[in-house]
Amino acid sequence: MKRFLLFIVFAAFVSPALVSAGESGAEILKARCASCHDLKGPAPATIRQLWKRDAPDLFYAGNKFRREWLVAWLQKPVRIRPAGVNYLRTINSTPTHQEKTKKGRKYDVLWGAVLKPLKHVTLSKQDAGAVADALMDLKPHTALVAGVTLDTSKKVSLDAGEVIFDKVYGCTSCHQIEPGYGGYTGAELYTAGKRLQPAFMLSYIKRPKNWDPKIWMPNLHVSPDDLQKITNYLILLSKEDFSESN
Amino acid sequence: MNPIKFLFTVAALMFVASPAVHAEEAYLNYKTYCMQCHGMHGKGDGVNVPAMNILPRDHSDNKYMMKRTNTDIYKAIKFGGPAINKSVRMPPWGDTFTDQEITELVGHIRSLCCEKELVRGVNFK
Ligand code: HEC
Ligand code: HEC
Ligand code: HEC
Repeated sequence: MKRFLLFIVFAAFVSPALVSAGESGAEILKARCASCHDLKGPAPATIRQLWKRDAPDLFYAGNKFRREWLVAWLQKPVRIRPAGVNYLRTINSTPTHQEKTKKGRKYDVLWGAVLKPLKHVTLSKQDAGAVADALMDLKPHTALVAGVTLDTSKKVSLDAGEVIFDKVYGCTSCHQIEPGYGGYTGAELYTAGKRLQPAFMLSYIKRPKNWDPKIWMPNLHVSPDDLQKITNYLILLSKEDFSESN
Repeated sequence: MNPIKFLFTVAALMFVASPAVHAEEAYLNYKTYCMQCHGMHGKGDGVNVPAMNILPRDHSDNKYMMKRTNTDIYKAIKFGGPAINKSVRMPPWGDTFTDQEITELVGHIRSLCCEKELVRGVNFK
């Protein structure tokens, strides 16, 4: 009898997991993702709201991501933002912990959990596919990418692209274009071509504020020609194999 | 409290409170947008420094900052480094802030570099 009772308790515990195998993508999003990610919008409109954000907004995922990337990443999530979603929470600026440049100048350092591998929900292949479909349905910002297309004739070599990206606009101050090469407070961009839709990149770089009104990426007034070149460069860059240096 | 006294109090409070509110907003803006490069203490020691070949200005460097006018600082923030013959590593923030917010940021930077002079009422133009 005791065993039987134990069995019942055990079954009650395990069954929600069994049921979840049949959950739809939208249900998984609501049940397992909405506690951290904003799935409804709008994006934070004040600095105070911005600082409360714990995870990237997903409410315009269908305007932003490439589906193949979502399916793969959700099964094997890795860090995308070296300083986390909010760099102000992950920096140590006490003089004893600051590091020094070659010339002896001190600077603030990343600190804590952000230096360890990302901890994130991992989905099965089937769930990842279902969730990716549900995310791709979230398209409130279609107007921002309407008529925005990549001009593949504006191709650049990796070297020429890096000159525009680094020397002309100074994007490397905040973004890495190789693991460990570049600043920390923006998302890594050596994977951007795989992760993001070209139209999103074009539109975001042109005016980040349209997507995320209070974000700490400035509008760098990139010329239309350079905008196309930078986006082609980022796509070319993400075809490189960075796994060795990882 | 009679209504006139009340009005006076409100007016006085508005007068006293608003500069403080502005100063706080300017500090929040500085913290969110500038500290990533200029550092948590504004000493040009932000977390992005290792990625930069031109180092961010140390805003607490009194000797250097005393040589800059408010107009220089305003232009650097609104249009970026090139507007004052400095590096593109200092980005333009004109699309992020209103002109009023930029003016307040200039005030905040002055408080980092030139506290004593501000108290003495120095005119930075
Ligand atoms: C405990 C909080 C938390 C939960 C729950 C969570 N996430 Fe995340 N998620 C994060 C954080 C933090 C990041 C940012 C990782 C980075 O940039 O390095 C992230 C990143 C992502 C990204 C990449 C977004 C981008 O803009 O780069 C996707 C897609 C994503 N999560 C999907 C999901 C899905 C789907 C679920 C539910 C199955 C989920 N997350 C549950 C915290 C969470
Ligand atoms: C002052 C720091 C800073 C500079 C300079 C900067 N960015 Fe960003 N960038 C950011 C931040 C912060 C984000 C938002 C990351 C997030 O969503 O959490 C971002 C996002 C992006 C994204 C979208 C990435 C994603 O995964 O959502 C692209 C593309 C991008 N930046 C390209 C550029 C380009 C090109 C330049 C130079 C013209 C540039 N950035 C300059 C900070 C910066
Ligand atoms: C991407 C990194 C970066 C960010 C973000 C940044 N700055 Fe700068 N800033 C620099 C660099 C680098 C210089 C030095 C340029 C030089 O000396 O050529 C500089 C210089 C300055 C100067 C000095 C100009 C002079 O007269 O020499 C001011 C003022 C300034 N920044 C204000 C700000 C303010 C205000 C913000 C936030 C709204 C900000 N910066 C954000 C990198 C940055």
